[in-house]
Amino acid sequence: MTNVQKFNKSPWVVHFNCNSCNGCDIEFLACLTPLYDLERFGILHVGNPKHADVLVVTGSVNHRNARVLRNVYDQMPDPKVVVAMGVCSSTGGIFADGYNVLGGIDKVLPVDVFVPGCPARPEAMIDGILKAAQILEAKHSGKTPLAMKTMLIRTPTLASAAAGQEKGASHA
Amino acid sequence: MQIQEALIAALVLGPILFGLLILTGVKGPARTGLIVLAALSTIGAGVALPVYTNLSNMVLPGVVTSLGSVLEPLMILIILTIGYRLKSWPVTIMALIQLAFCLAGFVWGHHGDTPDTLLVVDKLAMVMVMIVSVIGSLIALYAVGYMKNHEHHAPHTAASTNRFFTVLIVFLGLMNGLVLVDNMKWLAIFWEGTTLCSFFLIGYDGTTEAKASARRAITLNVLGGLAMSAGLFLAEHRFGSANLSEVMAKGPVTLLPIALLVLATMTKSAQMPFQSWLLGAMVAPTPVSALLHSSTMVKAGSYLILRLSPSLHDTPLAMMVAGAGAFTFVVTSALAIGQSNGKKVLAYSTIANLGLIVCCAGIGTPLAYAAGVTILIFHAISKALLFLCVGTIEQTIGSRDIEDMSGLLFKMPLTTNIAIIGMISMMMPPCGMLIGKWMAIESAARSAPLVLIPLVLGSALTIFFWAKWIGRITTASYHGKYTIESIDAWMRTVLTVIASGVIMASVFAMPIYVLVIKPMCLAACPGGAPGMEISILDNVVDYMGWPMLVVIGAIVLSLVAGTPLFKPSRLRLPYLCGENIDSDETSCAFRSIADAPVVTRLSSYYPPLFGEAKITAWGNPLAFLIIISLFGVLIK
Amino acid sequence: MTLPANPLTIVLLILIVPLFGALLSGIDRRITARSQGRIGPPLLQPLYDIIKLLRKEPLLTNRAQVVYAHLHLAFMVLAMLLLVFGKDSLMFLFVFAFSTLSLVLGGMCVRSPYSRIGSQREIILMVAYEPILILLMVGFYMANNHSFQLSAPMMSPVPMLLVLPLLFVAFLVVLAIKLQKSPFDVATSHHAHQEIVKGITIEYSGPYLAILELAHFYELALLFFFIVLFWSSPIWVGILLASFSFFLMTVVDNLFARLTTHWTFKFMWTSALGLAVTNILWLYWASK
Repeated sequence: MTNVQKFNKSPWVVHFNCNSCNGCDIEFLACLTPLYDLERFGILHVGNPKHADVLVVTGSVNHRNARVLRNVYDQMPDPKVVVAMGVCSSTGGIFADGYNVLGGIDKVLPVDVFVPGCPARPEAMIDGILKAAQILEAKHSGKTPLAMKTMLIRTPTLASAAAGQEKGASHA
Repeated sequence: MQIQEALIAALVLGPILFGLLILTGVKGPARTGLIVLAALSTIGAGVALPVYTNLSNMVLPGVVTSLGSVLEPLMILIILTIGYRLKSWPVTIMALIQLAFCLAGFVWGHHGDTPDTLLVVDKLAMVMVMIVSVIGSLIALYAVGYMKNHEHHAPHTAASTNRFFTVLIVFLGLMNGLVLVDNMKWLAIFWEGTTLCSFFLIGYDGTTEAKASARRAITLNVLGGLAMSAGLFLAEHRFGSANLSEVMAKGPVTLLPIALLVLATMTKSAQMPFQSWLLGAMVAPTPVSALLHSSTMVKAGSYLILRLSPSLHDTPLAMMVAGAGAFTFVVTSALAIGQSNGKKVLAYSTIANLGLIVCCAGIGTPLAYAAGVTILIFHAISKALLFLCVGTIEQTIGSRDIEDMSGLLFKMPLTTNIAIIGMISMMMPPCGMLIGKWMAIESAARSAPLVLIPLVLGSALTIFFWAKWIGRITTASYHGKYTIESIDAWMRTVLTVIASGVIMASVFAMPIYVLVIKPMCLAACPGGAPGMEISILDNVVDYMGWPMLVVIGAIVLSLVAGTPLFKPSRLRLPYLCGENIDSDETSCAFRSIADAPVVTRLSSYYPPLFGEAKITAWGNPLAFLIIISLFGVLIK
Repeated sequence: MTLPANPLTIVLLILIVPLFGALLSGIDRRITARSQGRIGPPLLQPLYDIIKLLRKEPLLTNRAQVVYAHLHLAFMVLAMLLLVFGKDSLMFLFVFAFSTLSLVLGGMCVRSPYSRIGSQREIILMVAYEPILILLMVGFYMANNHSFQLSAPMMSPVPMLLVLPLLFVAFLVVLAIKLQKSPFDVATSHHAHQEIVKGITIEYSGPYLAILELAHFYELALLFFFIVLFWSSPIWVGILLASFSFFLMTVVDNLFARLTTHWTFKFMWTSALGLAVTNILWLYWASK
């Protein structure tokens, strides 16, 4: 983990499930387990938007939960970032043509980080949240270079996953 | 001496005179004027007494004693008549027994010279006089505004307002007399007088509930009166004196009449198992609850037991009295948790604090005595304020239930803030009540560790219902502008004055302690090692010094720092999982599945654990056993 | 061994003590993580948390919250000072209790059901442990020549632990409650969610939450110093005792699940109170 020092040292995450099949949620909760351990980055999973910096959203937006999502977002204090976890929250995913689905959450909120995947892998999620923490730091200090406004996290391929696991093993 | 006599006459006879004048039926501004005059003269005399006289005991001529001998059977006859009218066997029989004691006294009494009547005018009496005169008069002024409104809503069975004010003001005179006399016959007369006032005022509304409560009140209070008559008879004819101080000076042989007097105080102060009359008395109009049933009449019992405390010291009776007080304290604190009726919570809290005073009187060391007097003073002021607030709230929102007081902070900001001041003064560090409780716990730890455990448990329980109540009335969302509610001018003035009094009393707690309480208890108590007691009492001042200033500073600073930083853009709705309903500002409603609002209800009364029926089921029998043991320990 | 109460000492204490409390909190999180097979955050993570919170936008639900937060902090600092300077033990206890009460009232004054339930549970917990604490102070009183000053156990030749063992055990249970550890973390647990979404502190955010966290650091340090009182000479034994107690709390936290407030109340008022009363009684009869 090379660039941890530059990140905001304690990004607190609140997780909201819009319309998700729970696949991404289960993978997200896996991040909290000892195998992936989000807490070593200072990330706490709080249940309450008022305490959180990072809003992690899974699932797409429909007519019913659009206002709920907006309500939760509004209750977060600034500076805040939004991470769209999984393809459903990025674009609507495989349910995008459904009659009730409005699309990804960028229809309702300003999103900072998109993490594609169905479900998104925990490593990608961690990477996404850490990038979000970096954006958070930048937002707070006032400079948000265009390149950091939104970042697309590439899902690791099999080869890079294998290489990553060797690196990950040295930390455990 | 002359000034003192004049002032005492003004304090005792003045209110009676004004009361009788009101009885003549004046209405409107004339009546208000009479009430104001009565209040002002009583306050004036009450304040002037310690300021302009050196308090010294007085002796009244024998004609006063003869007058007493006539009035006492008269009082008993009145009670007998009431018992007959109510068709109440207990009251009638007890009054007949009292009459028998009285007549026996006549028959076997001194046929020589009539003994003099002694008045005891010392610091304890002065404290009580000030409480009765100042707070009592203020409550009478509050009643002017309150009754105006009450008359509109009163049931048709209510008695006339003139009679209400008569009895209220005559009561002030009777209380002043009660605390100033040393002669037990006059004590009994004033005692029965207050019972009669209480009976009338509780039954004022004339409804079935009021009449039932009045009936229970007079039954239990006459029980106390009977005990007092028996004690008086014994004292006069076995020990030869009708003056309390002389009886107490005779030492432990006089323990039986003193035990009977203690029983009388237990009934008057609504200690367990006699507490049901005070609970029932809450149906009366609020000024009655504030005056009789929290600040003054029930304090008559506390006054008497504090006066008896030196003669209880080092006797087996002392520990029983302390145990009875501590038991009442812990059980009534638990009972208060299960009540949602605001006045009943206050009633149980009153009984609990009176139990604490009884416990302190039982422990009997100077520190305990100081604790008892401190609690007496500060409780009278704070509880009067709280009752008046609840009365004002009840008249405005139409309910006295705590659950209905949610969101009161922006419906009635002035009254709510005053109520918060009152409640905080009952339990917060720099305020007098907490100092008194602290002294009581310390004195129990020093001298009576077994009594300590119920005291400790009880004070933990008291936090519960006060915090719950404060939390309930301060729940409010952000409101742009607070409009001060419009309540009657009399009520508003009195509330503000007493609230300032509460704050002043806590700020000046230390001078009050040093100037009034400490000399009082050093004089009254046979100390163990006088040196140690003085240093302990001095340490109270040390303990309070800089931490309390820091505490008060912290409060003021936080209030200053807290409020002006508000900008509406910084305010958000509470978190309800995103399903807020903005329009409802008082309840925690949220939008549920069918897009329909659902209101959340929280229960905080725990009926299975703290329900009145459950606790009284075992509390009353245990208390009854303790009362029996009070007399049991005297059998040698 | 009592410190002199001059302004310089007071300022130094106010500045340094929260750092110590933060360290205690960080060590606790690290040990918890290691015992769960994780790595855990850096030791100074609580400080990073507070710095981050201070930099956030202050959001509130109503005016009264701020007042209660400040009162909570102020009274906690005062309680810590009263302890360190060895002042009256019952006064210390009341100030400490009022600090917790301010937190409770702050939770009650917002119209959030989670917050209110959390406050109510915290009140029940307070009612459950207050008697034990008062009895502990009485125990100190009886064991130290009838002195209610906290400086007495500091200068006592006999370690308090040997005279008040059962009271110490009862106090350890109270410690678990004050540290918001399982099985008692029902009102507002420290890290995990619970069924009432953070309970009392739910409506505090940003700098106001930082105030509450800061007060918690003072509380941690205060509880640590309080345990040191149980063996004050030589003082390194007391510090060892305190460290061991805190370690024990972390272990218990990781072993137990959360239990209900009713269970806690019954447990405290029977078992813990029984231990405390037994100890007081044998002290009383020993002194007769």
